[in-house]
Amino acid sequence: MGHDAFQITINCLKLVVIFLMMVQAVPILVWLERRGSGFIQNRLGPNRVGPLGLMQLLADAAKFLMKEEFFPETGVKLLYYAAPAAALIPGTLAFCAIPLSTPVHIEAFEWLGQSWGPYTFLFQGFDINVGIVYILGISSLAAYVILMAGWGSGSKYSLMGALRASAQIISYELALGLSIVGVILMYGTFNLTEMINQQQGPLNFQFWGHTISSTVSWLPNWGIFYQPLGAIIFFAATFAESNRLPFDLAEGEAELVAGFHTEYGGFKMLLFFIGEYGHMMVASGLMVAFFFGGWSIPGVSFDQVSSWASGATSSSSLASIFTSLIFFVSFFVKLAVFMWIFIQVRWTLPRFRYDQLMDLGWKTMLPWALANTILSALFIFVAHS
Amino acid sequence: MTPDAILFWILAVVTVVSAITVVLITNPIYSALALAMAMIGISALFVTLNAYFIAGVQLIVYAGAVMVLFVMVLMLFDLRHELQAFTRGKISGAVKIACVGMLAGLVVGAIYMSSSSLIHASAAETMSSVDATKQLGKLLFTQYLFGFEALGVLLLVVAVGCVALARSKGGTHEHH
Repeated sequence: MGHDAFQITINCLKLVVIFLMMVQAVPILVWLERRGSGFIQNRLGPNRVGPLGLMQLLADAAKFLMKEEFFPETGVKLLYYAAPAAALIPGTLAFCAIPLSTPVHIEAFEWLGQSWGPYTFLFQGFDINVGIVYILGISSLAAYVILMAGWGSGSKYSLMGALRASAQIISYELALGLSIVGVILMYGTFNLTEMINQQQGPLNFQFWGHTISSTVSWLPNWGIFYQPLGAIIFFAATFAESNRLPFDLAEGEAELVAGFHTEYGGFKMLLFFIGEYGHMMVASGLMVAFFFGGWSIPGVSFDQVSSWASGATSSSSLASIFTSLIFFVSFFVKLAVFMWIFIQVRWTLPRFRYDQLMDLGWKTMLPWALANTILSALFIFVAHS
Repeated sequence: MTPDAILFWILAVVTVVSAITVVLITNPIYSALALAMAMIGISALFVTLNAYFIAGVQLIVYAGAVMVLFVMVLMLFDLRHELQAFTRGKISGAVKIACVGMLAGLVVGAIYMSSSSLIHASAAETMSSVDATKQLGKLLFTQYLFGFEALGVLLLVVAVGCVALARSKGGTHEHH
C-alpha cells in the first residue's frame, strides 16, 4: 500500500483512475465500433447527435438509465442482479496488473510544513510478481458471470448461451494458457514488467554462446520475432475468451435471440457490454506486453526520452512524469491498434458453426500450441547450452 | 488485531461458510457456485501466505474444474430415478456413514500431522517466484509423479463416467 499518507492516497487514486479509464474508454470504443462498422458495411452509422455522432453515446446512456426495470418471472433474483455487477470485476482486476508505462520517480519535497520522502510510483494498479498467472486466473472467473446470468434469467435461450460460453471458455483456455508457456520460458519470468524490460533495445539474442543482432538497427527486440506462432494462437484464443465474433456463439442472435443476456435490458445490459470491452482491453494489453514491447518505442531508448524530458522541464520529478506520459502514449497507441483489430475482425468474419468452433479449439489450436511449447523449450535448451 | 489477522478472519469465514454451503444446500447449481466461491477464498488465503504462484494456479485450475463440474451438474440434472436409488436404502446409508468416518479421519489426521510441521511465516525461508515454481515443478515430476498422474486418470474417469450416465439413450433409466 505505501509507507505514509501521500503514498497510500496516490496508490488508491491510481486504482480508481485505471477503473475509470477502462469504463470511460467504452463509450469511445462503442462509437468507434458503430461508425467503423458503418463504413465497413458501406453505410453511415450514428452521425446525427452532436459532431460526428459523438453525442450518440450520451443519449444512449440516458436511454439505458430510463428504461423499465424488468425481472423475468422464472428468474433467480440474487443471480440475476449479481451477474451484471460481477461482469465488471474480472476485467478491471486484470487490467490493473498490466504495466502501462515506466515508473514515476518523485524527489523529496516540502508540503504542508512536512517533508515527504522520495517516492517511486509504478504506472499500473498494482505490481504482482506472478502477473501472468494472476491475470489468467482472474480472467477465468469471467465464465461464472455468464453462467450466473444464464441460470439466473430462468430462460432457455439464456441457459443455452451460458452453456455454450462455458464449453467454449474451457476449450480455449487450454490453448490460451499453452500459447504463452513459450513466452514464459523465453523470458524466464512471470512478471510483466521484467518481460517488457527484456524487450528494450534493438533485436539481439544469444545463440550457442554467440550474440546475434540484426543488421537493421531500428528493429526492436520484441517478443513477436521469437514467438510468432504463440502470438497468433494467443490472439485468436482471446477472441474466444472475450466472446467476440467470430466466436460469439454464446449470444448467436440467429439461434438464441441474444444468448446469455436475452433477459437483460437497460443499464444491466450496458454493464455486460462494459465487461466485454474490458476483456478486449486486457487481451490487447497482454498482447502488447508479451509480444510488442509494452510501452517501448522502437528505435528510441528510455535514456533518450528521459534526457530530452529533463531538458524540457525544470525539476527531475516533472521530467520523470513527462517521460512516463510519453511512454504511456506509446503503449496506448499499440493498445488502440489491437482494439481496432478486434473491431475490424468482428465486422469482417462470419460466425463459426458450433462444431467448427470446437474442432478449431481442440484439434487445431491446442496441438499447435503444444508444438510451440515443445519447440520453444528445445530451442531455448540448445541456445543456452 | 493486525490488518493481516483481520484479512485472514474475513477470508477464513467466507471460505468456510461457502464450503459448508456446498454440502448443505439442496440445489446443485448453487452448490457448484458456492464451491467456486470456496476455491476463490482458498486462493486469496494463499496470497496472504505470499504463495502467489499457487494462488494463481489455484484460481486457474480449480475455477476451470468447477466450471466443468457445473456443466456436469446440468447434464445430470433430471436423473430422478438414480437420485432415488442412491439416496435411499441400507447400502447407501452405510456408504454415507463410511464417508463421514473417512472425512473425520482426514480432518483429525491433517490437524495431528501438520501441527508439528508448520513453520511460522516469519521463519519460513523466502524465495523468488521463479525459484519456487521451479522447485514445485521438480517435486511434481519426480517425487510426486505417481500421485500426479493418478489424479489425472481419476479426473478422466469422472468425466467419462458422467458422459456415460448422461447420455439419454445409454442412461440407466428408460423413459426417453
